[in-house]
Amino acid sequence: MNRIETQNLTKAYGNFTAVEDLNLHIRKGRVYGFLGPNGAGKSTTMKMFLGLTRPTRGSFHIDGKTYPSDRTAILKEIGSFIEAPAFYGNLTGEENLEIIRKILGLPKSSVSDALELVGLTPFRRRLAKKYSLGMKQRLGLAGALIGRPPILLLDEPTNGLDPVGIHEIRTLIKSLPQQYDCTVLVSSHLLPEVELMADDIGILNHGRLLFEGTMEELKARALAAGFPADRLEDTFLAMIDEDNRKRGAGR
Amino acid sequence: MILGLETKKLKRTGYFPAFLAGGLLAAAFPLVNMLARSETFTALPGNPFDILTDANGQMMAMLNMLVSLCGACMMYHTEYADGGAQRMQTLPLRSGRLFGGKLLIASLVLAGMVAVETAALAGCAAHWFPAYTAQLPPLIRNAAFQWLVTLPTVTLTLVIASVCKNMWVSLGTGVILVFTLSIFPQDNPVLSLFPFSAPYQTLAAAAENGRVLLFSGVCAAEVAAFVLLELVCQKVRRCAE
Repeated sequence: MNRIETQNLTKAYGNFTAVEDLNLHIRKGRVYGFLGPNGAGKSTTMKMFLGLTRPTRGSFHIDGKTYPSDRTAILKEIGSFIEAPAFYGNLTGEENLEIIRKILGLPKSSVSDALELVGLTPFRRRLAKKYSLGMKQRLGLAGALIGRPPILLLDEPTNGLDPVGIHEIRTLIKSLPQQYDCTVLVSSHLLPEVELMADDIGILNHGRLLFEGTMEELKARALAAGFPADRLEDTFLAMIDEDNRKRGAGR
Repeated sequence: MILGLETKKLKRTGYFPAFLAGGLLAAAFPLVNMLARSETFTALPGNPFDILTDANGQMMAMLNMLVSLCGACMMYHTEYADGGAQRMQTLPLRSGRLFGGKLLIASLVLAGMVAVETAALAGCAAHWFPAYTAQLPPLIRNAAFQWLVTLPTVTLTLVIASVCKNMWVSLGTGVILVFTLSIFPQDNPVLSLFPFSAPYQTLAAAAENGRVLLFSGVCAAEVAAFVLLELVCQKVRRCAE
């Protein structure tokens, strides 16, 4: 069963098409690794799911709900972390989460629960603007995880974290589907990280989906096409390279 | 809920102390004026409260506008500085409600400022004009009128601050508007109705010209129009981003 589905989802800014006829199928209870070079349209796609930007064409369904008519209902089910941690610098970590808790109508314990999940409990009373980059990243993640939403959209969640932090967050993301029956859409430039945590993969280049499927399917496809298949990074680079070459030839 | 949330967001921003300081500064103006040159005013015929309002109203109105402008910039700077606004947009909450909460806080603190200023004017009138007896109903009418004619300006400053992510742009735009529109003649029936110009109008002057209802109606309509403008801006931004 698909938790997120898109039908020919397109976003254009004037003559530039950021996302073109995207058909994603994100299955329930899976970690979906969303890969693509800078400017491929990953963040734009996630922003469309959150209603931060309006699709130019096409549609999407999240948990059977349709945008834009069910926007509020969709947002109730999504925990998100987009591009960079977003918070109020004049408030403490705890106060930031308290605001989100009130809006979502969650119990008071959910704040300490989220802080504990990301390891920010000792720093909960420090002003968010005084947090280090890694702590800000953790606060952003806590904001996404608060209330344990059934769907998580995480855009580059490990940016700015040290290797220990990356390992912790990876382990956390990987455990979420089993622990909370959660579906995760995660984008990252750290391909070895995605390889370790994702069940399914979607590869995007210039707004178009080059591949969608499981890791095994990706390997099979890579072998069939004569691409290296041992490491996700090599397969990814070969696929992007070939697509870029085809586009160049097309022009 | 929204009022509590928006109030919480303003913690440690200096928003409320700024309004308190602004209110006290504006309230000190008639006091200093009377201490310095009370004979100029006590010799004038007419209602003491209206005499003092005429003498100090312009400066008080300008202070109200400047403090409200700074307040609007503070509110939205807090939203944009670390991406708080974007986080709010990803939560199941209508963005119009956030603006509504901010407008409610701004109008309440404006009401507080106007109340302090009215009390200061009444206090000065009672002290320097022995024949004057302060009565609550006319004072409330004066304060309510002053609040109402300043409200469109407050709403517009919030709209400007919400549109410009760079605080200095909204602050600069607001300051230019405050000083440019202050030169509009107050006896002109149309120009005096504009935001940034209407706050200079006093209840006594409006009553004299029979324009109290006109001012009240137009200012209420302006507030509604600016709220609509904000909602349109939010929709446009979502399509463009």
